[in-house]
Amino acid sequence: MSLDLNRVAGSIASMASELALQGSRRAEALNAALSKYYDPGDLASLKQRLARAKTSWLVAEIPGSLNSRFDPPPPPADYRVLATDGSQIDIDRHHPARCCLINIGSVSMQYGQNPGSFLESEPILLSKTDELILKPEQGTTGREVSIEGSLLGIKRTAEEFRFLAALAGRLQPGFPALALVDGSLIMWGLTSKDIPDFVVDIMLDKGVLKYITQIEKLNSSHPVALASYISFPRSTDVINLLRIAVCPYQIPDCDRFCAGAANGERPCDAVDGVNDRELFWACLTEQQRSDVFISQSRISKTRYGCNLVYFFYLKTGNEIARVEIPEWVALKPELLAITHSLILEQCRKGHGYPVALSEAHEMAVVSGADRQNFFYLVDEYFTGYKLNTSASAKSTSKKNRWI
Amino acid sequence: MNRQDNNKLGVVVSGSLSQGIQARLDSNTSIEDVTVGHLVTIQGNTRRFFGMINDISLETTDPGILLTPPEADEVFLATVLQGTTTYGSMQIVPYLTLGGDESLIEGPQPVKSIPSHFSPVLLASEADIELVFGKEGTRNFFIGNPLDMQVKLCLDLPELVTRSNGVFGKSGTGKTFLTRMLLIGILQTDAAVNLVFDMHSEYGWMGTREKASPVKGLKQLFPSRVSVFTLDEQSSRERKVSTDFVVYIGYDEIEPADIELLRQTLNLTDQAVSATYQLRQRFGQKWIEKALALESDGETEDTLKSLNIHEATFQNLVRGLNIICRLPFTLPHVETRAVDKVLEYLQSGKHVVLEFGRHGNIAAYILVANLLTRRIYTRYRENTEKAMAENHPQPKPLVITIEEAHKFLNPAVAGQTIFGTIAREMRKYNATLLVIDQRPSGIDEEVMSQLGTKITCLLDSEKDIDAVLAGISGKSGLKSVIAKLSSKQQALVFGHAVPMPVAFRPRDYGSAESYAQFGNASPDIKEDNLDDLW
Amino acid sequence: MAIRGDYMNEASSRIAEVTQASTAGFFAQCYELFDLPPLGSMIKCRDGGNEIMAITCNARTSSLEPGRRPIARGKNELTEEDVFRSNPQLEQLLKSEFEAVVIGHSANNQYHHYLPPRPVKLHSFVYVCSPDEIVEFSRSLEFLTLLAGARTELPSEELIAACIRFIGACHVEPAAFTTLAGKKLAQIFTDDYQKLRTILLRLKL
Repeated sequence: MSLDLNRVAGSIASMASELALQGSRRAEALNAALSKYYDPGDLASLKQRLARAKTSWLVAEIPGSLNSRFDPPPPPADYRVLATDGSQIDIDRHHPARCCLINIGSVSMQYGQNPGSFLESEPILLSKTDELILKPEQGTTGREVSIEGSLLGIKRTAEEFRFLAALAGRLQPGFPALALVDGSLIMWGLTSKDIPDFVVDIMLDKGVLKYITQIEKLNSSHPVALASYISFPRSTDVINLLRIAVCPYQIPDCDRFCAGAANGERPCDAVDGVNDRELFWACLTEQQRSDVFISQSRISKTRYGCNLVYFFYLKTGNEIARVEIPEWVALKPELLAITHSLILEQCRKGHGYPVALSEAHEMAVVSGADRQNFFYLVDEYFTGYKLNTSASAKSTSKKNRWI
Repeated sequence: MNRQDNNKLGVVVSGSLSQGIQARLDSNTSIEDVTVGHLVTIQGNTRRFFGMINDISLETTDPGILLTPPEADEVFLATVLQGTTTYGSMQIVPYLTLGGDESLIEGPQPVKSIPSHFSPVLLASEADIELVFGKEGTRNFFIGNPLDMQVKLCLDLPELVTRSNGVFGKSGTGKTFLTRMLLIGILQTDAAVNLVFDMHSEYGWMGTREKASPVKGLKQLFPSRVSVFTLDEQSSRERKVSTDFVVYIGYDEIEPADIELLRQTLNLTDQAVSATYQLRQRFGQKWIEKALALESDGETEDTLKSLNIHEATFQNLVRGLNIICRLPFTLPHVETRAVDKVLEYLQSGKHVVLEFGRHGNIAAYILVANLLTRRIYTRYRENTEKAMAENHPQPKPLVITIEEAHKFLNPAVAGQTIFGTIAREMRKYNATLLVIDQRPSGIDEEVMSQLGTKITCLLDSEKDIDAVLAGISGKSGLKSVIAKLSSKQQALVFGHAVPMPVAFRPRDYGSAESYAQFGNASPDIKEDNLDDLW
Repeated sequence: MAIRGDYMNEASSRIAEVTQASTAGFFAQCYELFDLPPLGSMIKCRDGGNEIMAITCNARTSSLEPGRRPIARGKNELTEEDVFRSNPQLEQLLKSEFEAVVIGHSANNQYHHYLPPRPVKLHSFVYVCSPDEIVEFSRSLEFLTLLAGARTELPSEELIAACIRFIGACHVEPAAFTTLAGKKLAQIFTDDYQKLRTILLRLKL
């Protein structure tokens, strides 16, 4: 007697009808957003207002224009695409062994004259103390943090970038290449206040950013771009930008002008309820990309340096995807062109999603059976070394579902 | 015939002593090369068996193949199936076995066991034939070759003449040739003296041959040992035959028993036949003359009344008697009786052939043959009994050859004729028969069973085949062999003088080499010398 | 009957590796994608100093990962080769494998046409047999009995006919061998003429 679907069906039905009701409301908001998007007024003054606005939401910065749309350039004849993805087996509290596993899938595809591919997965076992526990540097203060849960996910992301950089480093020079990851370049997980700074330092500065910079350095010999691909984005950076454009006040200040107003009563709510994806689905044609915007996320602005995160939206034919790129890609037209055309190629070959990413995912994925086999193997070795393998009572009761 | 070097035909797969052995042909033996009548040996575990193929059949392991046989263009399919799914099978009748203790001393023995499963079946070799049938020698006379073989097949002739024998076959199948050869054999091996009643003048001097020149007779080959008696002097002379005696029969030699045998031929009634006995009793030896004279006399009525002979019966009888008296070789009285002459020659060891010339009609033949034989046999019986009593050597064995034997030995008369008697008494008195006939079903069963050895050419009437095989064990096996013999130059011999039945091709007769092969053959008597003999 | 072992030293004759094995047969994965041995061809594995001979009876190319299945990719491609050019990862994700029926083995330098005492080992290398080896092995036709009794997905008539065609082609006189093989089959299928006929019609002289 697990989930009684009969009893939840009613709630699902009302949710669906609610959404349908909201549909017409949203269509109005979308129209308002579109009209503002097409006709934002004076761009220079908008940029000024953006710079001085005080809002609680994340608003995109406009380095170039707002509503330009770009067709894809033709892809190069010979090129490479790299991708990595990872998955993990977290520490099992009910197992005597304190260890966790990260599995990284790496894919390197070669297109053109000499097609080829390289697919690999590498498991990494974290069991030693210094692997599992992060300590602040000697001399500094801070509590120890153990790598598990969300932090394990961040560690995993760092490893994905490490492998990506290694893959890129092994590339034959002479051919343009694109390195892809799934998800956002912005380490949202590290923005939490609970995370001590030294951890951010280890994971981001000495981790992800270090590897991204390694990839950037390869550009001295041949063009290598880096991008991350977000499918079905729910971000509203650009919509929020349009809110500013709609806002009647010269210098928008939400706390000051609309503090007591409820949702729906504020002037900028004309465009409320719509996200960037819906906006760009309406105004981009297939294969087009939007202008490049800058993310105002704090961690990007304060710590990413020359890897400042830019982004654009791309209509792949199946969906609107959000592609995030470091500054050194956004500002170099050649790399931007590679990113645009090759992502489209990858989606074409991958039937809607970049094929290199989906193969990397396949290489990385750890199934339930894999997970179980991992623990069996651990048990075997423990038995061999005459270590205690008895599990906790709770896990035993989970394993044996008795009546 | 194509054969492997070792002559293997197949292997034994089933069978019984009573029904014959079934053998499966090897896949590389063509079934079309296997012939009924061939002699085969079967190599069992401890014994060897000799037998004859008497049936061949087509078999298949799966009846399904009969529903969808290979198409004409499915050559490969047919090749593969041959000898495997479809195969040939032959039925073999085993007759002799070799290989137990007794056979080492006494030679092949009649079969009492059967070979084990999968014993190989091979074509009989020349050595096998000689082992079983003997090599050519003083006793063994070369009569021909087993079918499709070169080795000589021999017949033990002294053994042959210890019983009466028969030569059978449809007309034109070669009975005369076979008989002639047997007579020569008997002569050569000195097994007996021959007395031949030569109805169509085939044996004495010359014989006819279809689509070829005539062949030599016994006297041409053995002039000093064979004598030709003739009933028709003129005919013999015209044919330039060298004769030794002309036979005439006196009326006073003819007995009522002789007339009785001629009942059908002369169309006599039963009463007429009985009347002869009465007349003989009344008139004594010259009864025929007297009976015929009666007719012209006026005393007929009374005589007849006193004898209790009906007028019509008498007329019937007289008509018959006249037929006899009209025969050119009959006379009221003959000085030198033919019987005595014949006996004289026979006792001196000379063979006698009595040819009938133009008188080869059945009435003459039956009369003369019966008459002479009766008397000769009586004499023979006396001589033999005397010799036995006085412990002297017995008279030389006599073989009497008669053709159209069913006229003499049909069930109606077999009990009464001398030939029936001779057949039944076997060799008690040193005389046996050699009967030649094309209608063996007409011969009395009991007589047939007394015949020791039979040689038969093709017979196509089932009744005739049954008659020839009556009383033989395993006759079903031989039946198919007889029915499949060629119409010429093939015969089957079986009986007491051969260890086992064998189909053979009679030896050549009529070419110069064949004459030369008969030892003691004298050079041809030139035609212009013939007149001197007369 | 001497066994020629030198052919096995050629690396080119090694084509696959055993991934599943039992006494009567095994599965093997090819080293080269699509480089599958033809149906009915003779292959062998080593077992110590001896060899185990088998006939390929089924082949397929499929995804390495059981849950993933190939999909059509060539709608906009000109040729079939272009499908692989445009999607180079495919070769890494597919495997070609085949099934084989064991038909005999060698022991003490002699061929035996019955099942070996032990099955092939997992990860045994699979070699293609040389024509000389095939002719030598097929001197006795007893292996056809084993082949006829094999339980495979393929109709056994197709397998047996393919095997005879293949072995016949190695002989100097194919027609003579095919006829002998046909007669052996007639013995084996002595009460199933339709099956025999079906096989024979698939043989060429």
